[in-house]
Amino acid sequence: MQILRQVWVVAVKDLRAELRTKEAINSSLAFALVILLMFSYAFDPLADTTREMSGGLLWIVFAFAGTLVLNRSFARELPNDCLDGLIAAPVSGGALFLGKAVANFLLVLAVQLVSLPVFGVFYSVPWTKQLPELLLVMVLGTWGLTIVGTVSSALTVNIRLRELMLPMLTYPIMFPALLGAMQLTAHLVGGNPIDEEHFGWLKMMIGFDVIYTAVSLVLVETILVG
Amino acid sequence: MGNKLLIVLGVVAIALLALNHDSFTSAREEGFFYIPLAGTAAIAAVASLAASIAFLRTRNFRFDAAAVAATEVGLAFLAAAIVNGCCLTGYASGRFWSWDSGLTAALVCWLLYAAYLMLRQAVEEPTQRATFAAAWSIFAFLDMPLVVVAMNWWKPGVHIPGDWTGARVCHLVALTMIALLMATVRMRQEEARREIDSLRRSAQ
Repeated sequence: MQILRQVWVVAVKDLRAELRTKEAINSSLAFALVILLMFSYAFDPLADTTREMSGGLLWIVFAFAGTLVLNRSFARELPNDCLDGLIAAPVSGGALFLGKAVANFLLVLAVQLVSLPVFGVFYSVPWTKQLPELLLVMVLGTWGLTIVGTVSSALTVNIRLRELMLPMLTYPIMFPALLGAMQLTAHLVGGNPIDEEHFGWLKMMIGFDVIYTAVSLVLVETILVG
Repeated sequence: MGNKLLIVLGVVAIALLALNHDSFTSAREEGFFYIPLAGTAAIAAVASLAASIAFLRTRNFRFDAAAVAATEVGLAFLAAAIVNGCCLTGYASGRFWSWDSGLTAALVCWLLYAAYLMLRQAVEEPTQRATFAAAWSIFAFLDMPLVVVAMNWWKPGVHIPGDWTGARVCHLVALTMIALLMATVRMRQEEARREIDSLRRSAQ
């Protein structure tokens, strides 16, 4: 219970800091809209083939916009040596990490929930047909992205080329979960329920989330404290 | 490892490859070398994981040097496997990259470990560099089975032919010996580099 409370405190602190400045979420939202618009130059946005690759497009937008939020997660703590203060605080590394991950998760999910309807309107994709399943896929995919992204954010916090390194670390690791999310999303926005063939991808995403959450919690103390 | 032992290792490896010359001549049909090459890269990944875990437990920088040596050699072998596989599909179908599930999985794994080297290069403080790299090595290793499964689901039909035969196992043994030789040389280099680095730091 104590740990849950600590996670909550860290998450609320991060959310409050972000909502006061809105530096990450605004740029992430604007970026998502720009990519959504740019895709329409690459191919005919109203063609039927666009529906087939819509899942892939949507997750590329989510992943690109998500890294903007994740980049700021630990970098925000650098001025005034806040990171040292956080590490020295009577909170375990795992609770600190989970709190940051929860805050990132909510922020990235918020960006996604805004860009999803925009995507639906721009490319005339009937995304509401299987909404509960689609939301489940989004939650699972976003949790994977935020867990891997938050660890990468912690790893790259002291690096000069932080903004460049984070995607280089996050995307290759995300590959299995991202592929699953793309396949499922394309299937779901086509109006089809999750069948046996696609259920495997769902299991893959759950497995990815569980494995990386567990390993991150084991390793985060080492990463943060050294 | 002594220099004499390394020389013996190299000679035995070359002899093993030469003894299997018969399987070379039909290499185009049988699948070149990409299977033993990829196998050697997988062994290097396991070695890198073991060295990384050992470093995190003991904080002995020898293990860090071993991890980076194994990773770099594994990357070289995996790159060779990917190029070889590309040549094979190129000969067979005229298309050098056909999103074959094995080759694409190999490429993703290559990117994972390339990120390991980039992370090492980016972190300046030696202890932090070794710790972060070791953590990343564990992350990357855990991702490999997921990547292979995902690729097989994604493109189930597309796969270049090739199984483990006696000749390939022999090639794997020979290539692993060459990899061990290269990794040992690289490990010495890394240890020397760290020593020079620490001397420079103490002089400053």
